[in-house]
Parts: sequence; C-alpha cells; structure tokens
Amino acid sequence: MTALALGLGLALLLVSLGLLDGGHEQTIADGVRFGPGHVVIQAKGYQDTNSDELLLPARIVSTITDFLQTPNMKRLVRGVSPRLLATGLLSSSANSSGVRIMGVIPLHERAVSLIPQRMIAGTYLTNDNNLTGVVLGDDLARKLEVKIGSKVVLMTQALVPPNTAGKDGSGDEMESTLLRVNGIFRTGLQAVDANIIQVQLPAAQTLLGIADGQVTLVALLLDREGDSPLVARALRKQLAADPVEVLTWRQSIPMLAQILELDHAFNYIMNGVILAMVGLGILNTILMRVLERRYEFGVCKAVGLRPGQLAIMIIGESLALTSISLLLGLALGLSIEHYFASSGLDLRLLFRAGLPPALVFDPILYSRLSLNRIIWSVGIVFMMATVISFYPAFKAARTELPDALKVL
Amino acid sequence: MTQWAVELREVKKTYRTGPIEVPALRGLSLRIAPGEFVATAGPSGSGKTTLLNIIGGLDRADSGEIWVAGKNLQLLSSGDLSELRLLRIGFVFQTYNLLPVLTAFENAEFTLLLQGMPAAQRKARVEKLFSEIGLAGLEHRRPAELSGGQQQRVAVARAMVTEPALILADEPTANLDSASAIALLDVMEHLNRATGTTFIFSTHDPQVLERAHRMIRLQDGQIVSDDTRISRTPDAREATRSA
Repeated sequence: MTALALGLGLALLLVSLGLLDGGHEQTIADGVRFGPGHVVIQAKGYQDTNSDELLLPARIVSTITDFLQTPNMKRLVRGVSPRLLATGLLSSSANSSGVRIMGVIPLHERAVSLIPQRMIAGTYLTNDNNLTGVVLGDDLARKLEVKIGSKVVLMTQALVPPNTAGKDGSGDEMESTLLRVNGIFRTGLQAVDANIIQVQLPAAQTLLGIADGQVTLVALLLDREGDSPLVARALRKQLAADPVEVLTWRQSIPMLAQILELDHAFNYIMNGVILAMVGLGILNTILMRVLERRYEFGVCKAVGLRPGQLAIMIIGESLALTSISLLLGLALGLSIEHYFASSGLDLRLLFRAGLPPALVFDPILYSRLSLNRIIWSVGIVFMMATVISFYPAFKAARTELPDALKVL
Repeated sequence: MTQWAVELREVKKTYRTGPIEVPALRGLSLRIAPGEFVATAGPSGSGKTTLLNIIGGLDRADSGEIWVAGKNLQLLSSGDLSELRLLRIGFVFQTYNLLPVLTAFENAEFTLLLQGMPAAQRKARVEKLFSEIGLAGLEHRRPAELSGGQQQRVAVARAMVTEPALILADEPTANLDSASAIALLDVMEHLNRATGTTFIFSTHDPQVLERAHRMIRLQDGQIVSDDTRISRTPDAREATRSA
C-alpha cells in the first residue's frame, strides 16, 4: 500500500507537472504568435499610449533587420515581421464593424504569426502585386455576412505622426479602399476573430497616408522563449540612440504573464495538496505498519536491539520501500507523460461546451517535462517520504517493554 | 570481593492503572552468584515475572538498586540496557517470542547479527548449539512449523548463542507437555553445567522446581523462603562463602 501510494503520488506529480509545463509552454507560444511575438520593437511610448500615430521610421526598421542578420542574432531568431497597426471601419453590403487593421508582409508574417496557419476558408495573403486582398476572422465574416471573394470597403483616418501634423489640418482626412476577402481564419480567440483584419503592408501604408515605409512595430519570433531577455537586451543596446522601446513578451503582454504566474502559483498549491495527501497516506501506512509490528519490535529490543538501531532500521526500510516505489512511480509517470507528450491531451473531450480562451489556445495539450522537473519531483517525494518516516521510526524506537512482548 | 551475578537491594515496583495501585515488589533484596540454577516460585501476582523483567532491564523499578554484571541498571539508559541484554543477558519467554518471519536458524542467529559477528562464525556457533540441544535438521523451519517444545528450544538457543553470563526464563515450560518440559530442563541444566551460565527462571511447575538448585518463593512481592536444594557450582559456592 505504501509503495502504491508513493508510486502513484510521484506518477501523478510527474503527469501534472508535464501537462502544466506543456500547457504553459503552449500558451506562451500561442500567445506570442497571436500577439506581438517574443520580442517587440516599437516607438517609445507606444506600450503605454497605444497611439497609432507613434511609428517606427523605416531607417530603424532597416537597422533592426540588419542587426538581426548578424550571426549571433540569426541563430536565435526564427522570424521578423514589421506591422503597421491602425483602427478602421470595415463595411460590406450587409453590415459594418470597427476593426483593427494590421498591415503585414505576408511572407514575414507567416514566419511569426499563427493566423496564416488558422485559415478555414480561402488562402492567406501572398507577396504578389495584388494589394486588394484582406483576411479576416470568422466572427467578423459572419457579422459582415461575407465569404471568399466578397467585396468590402475599409475606411480609416490617415495617420500623421505628431511631429509632422500640419497646421492646415492635414492628417484628418478619411480614406477608404475597396478590398476583396482573400481568406477567413479562426483562432478561437474572440478578440482576434471578431476584430483583426490583415492586409498587405504597402496597401495599409497607402491607405494610412504613410509614404516613407514607417511601421508601428517589429515582432520577433525566437526559437526559444528563454532567449527573449537576451535578444531584447542586445536590441536595446543596438538601438540605444533611437526613440524606441524593446519589450519582451512578458512586458508587452503583461496580462498573459500574470495569468501564467497565477496559474503557476495555483498549480504549486495543487501539487502541494497532492504531495500532502500522498504524505499523509505514507505516514498513515508506515505508522500502521509500525503499530502492527509492535510485538516484533518488542522482541528485537528485548534481545538487545538498541532504540537508535530500531529507528535506523525503520528509516532504512522506508528508504528501501521509497526507492522501489519511486522507480515504479517514475516508470508509470514517464509512460503516461510520454503518451501525453506524443499524442497530447485533447481538451475538447473535457470542454465539450467550448474551450476557455484565457490560457490554452490549442485544444490539444502536449506534455513537456524537463529533466530538472523529474529530478525535482523525485527528490521532493524522496525527501518527503524520508522525513515522514522519522515519526514512525521515533515511535518504534520508543516501543515500551515489557508491554510490547504481550501482544501476540 | 566477589561480584554477584545479580544483586537486588530494596527493590520496589508498583503498577498504577489510574487511581489503582498494585504493588508488585515490596522492597525485595536478593543475591545470586554466578553459575547458579535458580527457580522463583509463587502464586500468580506474587511478583515472579516483574522480578525477572527488572533483573533483565525490560522494566524499571520504582526504587532500590539492581546490579547485574557489575552495573546498576537503575542508572543505565534505554540504549545501555539494550546493550547489556545483547551482551550479557539471554531471555526465554513463556510464549517463546520468536520472530515469525524468520527461520529457527535466523531467530537464533539474530542476536549474533546485532553483535556484528561475521556470517561464518555465526553459522558455526548456531549449528553447534542446535546440535547440542537437539534442533539439528530444523534450522530452516519457521516458528509456525515447529512444536511448542521445539520453539522453546529455539528460544533457549537464541538466549544462549551469545554466551551470556545470565539467562532469565519466565515460565519456560508453561506451554509445554511433560516430555518437552523435561527435555527443555535437561538442555538448560546441561548448559548451566557446561558453561557456568547463571539461570534464573520462574515457574509453577513442580517438576521444574524439583530440578532447581535453589528455590526462591515469593508472595505479595516479597521473598518468603530461599532454599538451596542442590549444591551449587564451585563458583557459586565460592561466591556465597566470600559473601
């Protein structure tokens, strides 16, 4: 029973940690790919004001692109996508809706964003000369009652950076353009599917009256999330003289970081509860075994076993039992973890009514368990079982003679 | 000056259960010389088992002094008492108290293992003893596979195997038939004569009392008679004379 409790406890802990880490890794990966990437470079003040008029000059975009081509950076960065952001009104023959316009270079955006991978109808934008294509989310398409090939009109106000605003009121002009629906995507995130539209960057620049290649931000996707601070630091150093801010995803999407922190804390508590339950199970089982063996211990003490030797014997037995149990638990836990790592846990089975969009975007959750996590888990369960065995050992050492000899 | 195998001075022991107090030993004094073969007798509740438990350090007296192998047991820690039992005292219990998961050989070997004796020496010593007390061939049987007499002989072997100076036996024949009881007494008496080990045992059994060299009768926790029936070993005679 003790071996079973310990083994199952460790297996449960490993599976739980694997799914937790996998979920977090996936959430970060999805979050940054639907958002501004692992690292984002934008005009100074944009994070606080969200003012679309704060733009990055083309010169800085070139500097960034050149810097990211250096060998040290190139091996860390998987994709670079300049984006121009603005708000507008998208109208069809049936309806109108406020939208967030994202002007992108399709080939670059494909390397960074998940939207190109989530097309459910039509195709994503291509780097051809057709500047009239637009892709939009399925919620928005439903609202506007449009399908592939439908015509829509995008209306927006021309962007004029503050330092270039003319006294004559230039920059206040409303601009509109006719676009054709190229593709419809579904991310599962209502905020994206109902609001975001993507058009070719040159089309967006023309529409917004931007002539010199300015963009709102440059989003970077890295090979490893853990390199975000390193890349951000290098870029800050490189762009120290320019009026830009370089943010990691934790700074640019603080809510996601906070949710993950909260989830981490909650899961640590849950794991603590699992460990406590396993610990109490172990304590109860070892203690019962000690009480059941009172007679045996009495005989051992009567023939000369010292109390300390008896305690060491109990702890030794517990350690042996713990080691065997942990091996079994490790085998069981890693087998289950391996299954979830390769086949994944389909959350649609658990959330038939719909997935909660806050954390997990991909409905199939893949387990990820690092060696550190395994060592930590085995270590903590081993330590716990060892510490827990002290009390029964102490109890056994204090077996009272001659009373214990009467039990038979 | 002679060192007694066991010396008790004004030993008192009272058992308490809530407000009820039951005196078991009432200021008992006693001297037993090395090599004696002593029986303690008396009705139930006279203090025989308490006396043996206190001499063996299994229980503590409320007051008085208990000297065994030159040590005052009242001053020893629980660990020191365990060590004294391991090195100097052997126990034979009425209910044998063998470890059911161990074989006869392992039960007898256990105390040697605690002493840290190498395996080869342990094996040789247990085999020799088993052969002397008629247990040869039963080494690999577990207690449940042995008769009461055989189990008690294993218990004697476990008590004897460390070659202690003193063996305490609490009603060792109580659960045995006559033939087994006689056989066990033969073994104990033989070991007493052959090794000079001091034996103190409690009994109700007349045939056991008949074999005792010295008989101490207890009543209400006090000695009411102390008779030497058969001359003791030379060591014991010398010790008594010196005292």
